[in-house]
Amino acid sequence: MTQAVRARLIGGLIPSLAIVTALLIGGVIIWASGPRIDGPWFGIWFVVEAYQALIEGAFGSRAATIDTVLRMVPYVFTGLAVMVGFRGGMFNIGAEGQLAVGALASAWVGFTVTSLPLVIHLPLVLLTGCLAGAIWGGIAGLLKARTGAHEVITTIMLNYVGGQLAAYLLNGVLRDRSPLNVIAQTPKVAETARLPDLVPGLHSGVILVIGVAVLVWFVLWKTTTGFELRMVGINPDAASYAGVNVVRRMTWAMGVSGMLAGLAGAVQVAGVNYRSTLGFNVGYGFDSIAIALLGRNTVSGVVLSSILFAALRTGATKLQFRTQISTDIISVIQALVLLMIAADQIIRWIYRIGPAQTEADPVAASTAPVADSESGR
Amino acid sequence: MRTRRNLLFGLAALPILAACGGEAAPAAPAAKAEPTKAPAAPAPAAPTTAPAAAAAPTKAPEPTVAAKVLKVGLVTDVGKVDDKSFNESAWNGAKAGAAAIKGESKYVETRDPNDYKKNIQQFVSEKYDVIVTVGFLLGDATIEAAKANPTIKFIGVDQFQEKPVENLAGLIFEEDKAGFMVGVLSALVSKSGKVGAVLATDVVPPVWRFGEGFRAGVKFAKADADLQIVYHSDVGPEKTFDDPEWGKATALSMADKGVDVIFGAGGKTGNGALYGVAERKDKGVLAIGVDTDQYLTVPEAKAVLLSSGMKIIDQGVSDLIKAVSDGKFKGGNVNGKVGLAPFHDLDSKVSAEIKTKLETIRKDLDAGTLKTNVKPAKG
Repeated sequence: MTQAVRARLIGGLIPSLAIVTALLIGGVIIWASGPRIDGPWFGIWFVVEAYQALIEGAFGSRAATIDTVLRMVPYVFTGLAVMVGFRGGMFNIGAEGQLAVGALASAWVGFTVTSLPLVIHLPLVLLTGCLAGAIWGGIAGLLKARTGAHEVITTIMLNYVGGQLAAYLLNGVLRDRSPLNVIAQTPKVAETARLPDLVPGLHSGVILVIGVAVLVWFVLWKTTTGFELRMVGINPDAASYAGVNVVRRMTWAMGVSGMLAGLAGAVQVAGVNYRSTLGFNVGYGFDSIAIALLGRNTVSGVVLSSILFAALRTGATKLQFRTQISTDIISVIQALVLLMIAADQIIRWIYRIGPAQTEADPVAASTAPVADSESGR
Repeated sequence: MRTRRNLLFGLAALPILAACGGEAAPAAPAAKAEPTKAPAAPAPAAPTTAPAAAAAPTKAPEPTVAAKVLKVGLVTDVGKVDDKSFNESAWNGAKAGAAAIKGESKYVETRDPNDYKKNIQQFVSEKYDVIVTVGFLLGDATIEAAKANPTIKFIGVDQFQEKPVENLAGLIFEEDKAGFMVGVLSALVSKSGKVGAVLATDVVPPVWRFGEGFRAGVKFAKADADLQIVYHSDVGPEKTFDDPEWGKATALSMADKGVDVIFGAGGKTGNGALYGVAERKDKGVLAIGVDTDQYLTVPEAKAVLLSSGMKIIDQGVSDLIKAVSDGKFKGGNVNGKVGLAPFHDLDSKVSAEIKTKLETIRKDLDAGTLKTNVKPAKG
């Protein structure tokens, strides 16, 4: 087996083992919150039943599968957003705020413009969402490039600004003024601003998300721009020495990252909610960080992690219905997965996998033969 | 160096591993110890035991009962069934209602507002007979589900029905009656004869009804009482419910003018009034809360909180469930009961005489022999 293939296999192995381990620990927690000794096998059955409900709730029927796919869509967009940032050396914690402004802007274009045909209006709505997100992300990129302000700080702060801006506008100029409305939300967007259904209940944003995923992959791995971006991400000094305009690429990375998150918001508006409501589509931006990490910042990884997270969240309803335990268990499992991805030594130790081959640490190198013999079985 | 690091790490990870083993194979506790000895064997052991358990004979997940048992499902608004507020009250009502008709009840908690439809659908697809949805925000999703499933009865808590749907009852509350009782209580316990109300806005009808009900109640109990009612209508809609500083300042200025019972209502603005009163605890000023028993939800004001003008959600829900069982269920708007929350620590401030009087008034309001004469909305 060549080094490259082996590295790839291990690259995929560790997230998989992290998920399995997280589910096992999650099982212990489910067991502890269940009627333990009542059933056969000291109540282990309860755990099986819970996970069975989780899977059924996510994929058990046509409606369930559609729900899972619907939830996957914003996860993929925001997951790709965070991934592009990571690849460009930028840790974008701001997908949450970028999504919010994207949703706001697209809803605004969706309900104020009324006399355009769908083929123009719908793209306009989606592009407005992209633009708003790109501006929101670009601010952080620009601040980093020009002043050195750390993007983790600025994007976190911009999340608050975005959230408050949404609250202000949705209670103010963008608010639905119909007398029966008492909620901070926009009016519904025009029919021409809505994503048509692919099959009943499933909007065509699914096609869009696949297209965007392929596009992101192509740009990052098949174009000069993408190459430069990844170079900046790996080593900005080397990139600069090689003649890459690092400042521009960083801003670009944050702008594209924000754009993808903004698009997530726009697709939620055009495909699911048909309006922007305060407090809706909250949390996707934060989940996306975990998704990008779990997906090891690859396009296929992000898509797979999104499916997992979407399935966990969607199946949670049935899990709670059957077992009546708190759906917080899903957050626990997600957190455990993330913990074990972030500190993958845990997984490497439990399952006796050698240290990462790319590690240039001399200490690691000295023990490398031992590690090889362990994992080479 | 490296070895020591590994060792430390191993120690740290041991409980996790032990936990894994414990879950997957409780019958073989020896498995826990294995990993430290043989590096190759135990690692795959943990994951493989799980599928083995899954292959065990399947038990029916839902108990099937021969006799027709009514099944009651409840969907919360974003939040939990133990939120000490609307969701919890509604869930208690659903449980009580289901128990009274020997039915069964289950809940699903909403985490994401995008899931309202899906969570209702969970109970629809399991053929539940009654579905309770809690909170104004679920209104649209509930109406949609009710229209699509005419054989299922829906109960929408705090959901005013504009166009009645036959199988959907909107459980709403007569805030003016709750305000009236608060007014009577305030007037009767006040020593200075000065009572006040700090309210969010007179534009939103429920708040206005609380305030005007309070006015009517005070006048009813003590015609010569010095009454101060302030609505925070001078700011925009985004601020009126969200201005605890104003609520607090207003309550403080009332207290300093000798008002000794203050009713606060309307989101955080109303809660602000309670905080204000808490600061004048040493002067013996009392506060009255709103909607739910705020003794439980605003701990800062515990020491001064005499009672709360409550919407009695649990009883409303359970009564509607019983109505379904009796075949008396009707769609449209249903008025739930309102009343005063327990006096808790300040029970001694309310004499037996006052309690009797409040009870009479509550009955008269219920029966309709006593009217608050408050219009549904201002103007």
